[in-house]
Amino acid sequence: MNEELKKKYHAKYTAAKQKGVKFWPDIIYKDLLVSFALFILLIGLAAFVGVAAEPKADPNDTAYIPRPEWYFLFLFEALKFVPGAIEWVGTALIPGIAVLALIALPFLDKNPSRYWKNRKIAISVMSVIVLGIVGLTIRAVITTPEQEETTLAGSIAEQVVQGQDLYSIYCAECHQPEGEGGEVVGVEGLEGTFIKPISSQDEMWTRTDQTLFNIIDMGQQDLGMPPYGLGYGGELQRAEIESIVTFMRYTWDERAEIPEDAIVGIPALVEGEVPSYEVHISAVAKRYCVSCHREGKENNEYLMGSYDEILNTGINAGKNVIAGDPDASYLMQTLHRQTVIGSDSNEIGAMPPSKDLKTEYIDMFARWIEAGMPETAAEAAALSTVAAPAEETAEP
Amino acid sequence: MFEKIFQWLDERLGLEAIYGAVLDRKVPKVNWWFTLGSASLFLFVMQGITGIFLTMYYVPSPDKAYDSIQYIMNGVAFGWLIRGIHHWGASLMVLIVFLHMLRTFFYGAYKYPREITWLTGSLLLLLTLGMGFTGYLLPWNQRAYWATTVGTEIAGTVPGIGDFILRALRGGSDLSAVTLARFFSAHIWLLPLGIVLLISVHMYLIIRLGISNVPGEDE
Repeated sequence: MNEELKKKYHAKYTAAKQKGVKFWPDIIYKDLLVSFALFILLIGLAAFVGVAAEPKADPNDTAYIPRPEWYFLFLFEALKFVPGAIEWVGTALIPGIAVLALIALPFLDKNPSRYWKNRKIAISVMSVIVLGIVGLTIRAVITTPEQEETTLAGSIAEQVVQGQDLYSIYCAECHQPEGEGGEVVGVEGLEGTFIKPISSQDEMWTRTDQTLFNIIDMGQQDLGMPPYGLGYGGELQRAEIESIVTFMRYTWDERAEIPEDAIVGIPALVEGEVPSYEVHISAVAKRYCVSCHREGKENNEYLMGSYDEILNTGINAGKNVIAGDPDASYLMQTLHRQTVIGSDSNEIGAMPPSKDLKTEYIDMFARWIEAGMPETAAEAAALSTVAAPAEETAEP
Repeated sequence: MFEKIFQWLDERLGLEAIYGAVLDRKVPKVNWWFTLGSASLFLFVMQGITGIFLTMYYVPSPDKAYDSIQYIMNGVAFGWLIRGIHHWGASLMVLIVFLHMLRTFFYGAYKYPREITWLTGSLLLLLTLGMGFTGYLLPWNQRAYWATTVGTEIAGTVPGIGDFILRALRGGSDLSAVTLARFFSAHIWLLPLGIVLLISVHMYLIIRLGISNVPGEDE
């Protein structure tokens, strides 16, 4: 810019200033107003949208789809258009040039004009870049697949509940529902192994959370315990193992007091009350049956994870539960440890394999089948001769 | 009484002169787009204040980082609010700083005599992005961990010095406690220091040169 243009600019600017306003209060007042609006917006976002909960970092969970912060998405998306062999062009060369051009802009753009009509090239280039950034960002948002939902256990109570469910599925078949251990029955490869109790105070006082975590994560192969952590060939994420540890600690350790909202009891039945799948059977099945009666286990294909599965799966489907006839139902016969010959002429063992289910739960199954296997609490209530205990009737 | 105190202070601090040079000066009449700069500054101050509060409870180690944030969200009085503001403030700051840059560009305000103001401003935009990148890892959750893994990998593809950059960012070949520590340090010391210094220069230049005017058709 030559001296003449500089002079001309200064003259213009001085004129603009003379027609202008005072920095204080005119400009400051506008600034404060906008800043205040942003402040309110931030409080609103923090209070009403909040920060999405995310599971803890798990270096072993390589299935996780990485997503950068939204303002880097366009870069991420742009890289998809760069062939792998010249990846560095997209990751280093182009961004590098863009950054340098941005910084050095006043020295690159020699056009002395400021009004947009006299700067068509510069305005066009910048507009294309901005539109490109916005377009790529939108494209990235649309094409990034949704992250698979993971159940997040935040509070201790939530962790205990989640841990109990996971324990029932992955641990209970050998360690038993209360961690009491004993002889393993019906587990491939470990048949007849004798397992010590893991819920005793000796265990609880001498094993730290970290030790328990490591045992579940890495397993103890010499003792027959397989690894469960994703990093060691298992299927549990770190957060899930932590939940199991929390469940063990708060349920079995006499020094820890379990939060009240974490106690998931199986409601007892009163005389004449009919149990439902929703409230009673699902809870008992989850705690005592599902660890074997799920996909991938030896169970005559009889799954017990849902209402439909209990009624309709397995090679003996139709005979496992017979509405109104508990005595003829295979489920009841195995619970009573009677010999049952299945449709493949093989004997079905007593269930649960290692020891009897509590009498009250056997009775619960019997009453449920007798009444025709009601699914919801409402259906069960309609079949009952007495009203369910007060706290349950509170729910419609 | 107050007049006496003011005069005593003014004699020593030169308050009148500061008022005259900084606040009581004529500037061109401008529109609302010109509030984006001060809005960026406001957001930076907000990030600073909420960030300082967060460091009182945050622990920059892989074992504790996640839990310490759980505690901030659930255990600390108004912790959720402070973190919420910091979280959203980060996104908003990137957006506002970017818009501020666009305003400056479209009004041609980076031209003589404001070249250095633009230079510091563009560096400030980059530092703001750096704050976003380093801050993203600190919660040590899945999103943070994997985004940083990929982000540092991308930095590692630079020809020749890529491996060095990758190792320098991660403090080793893998993402680890060292990575978290250096991202934390960069996030609370290095980058804010750079931002404060550049903002000082930026502001000095704005006061010295005055804010730019909305260009007329003959400019």
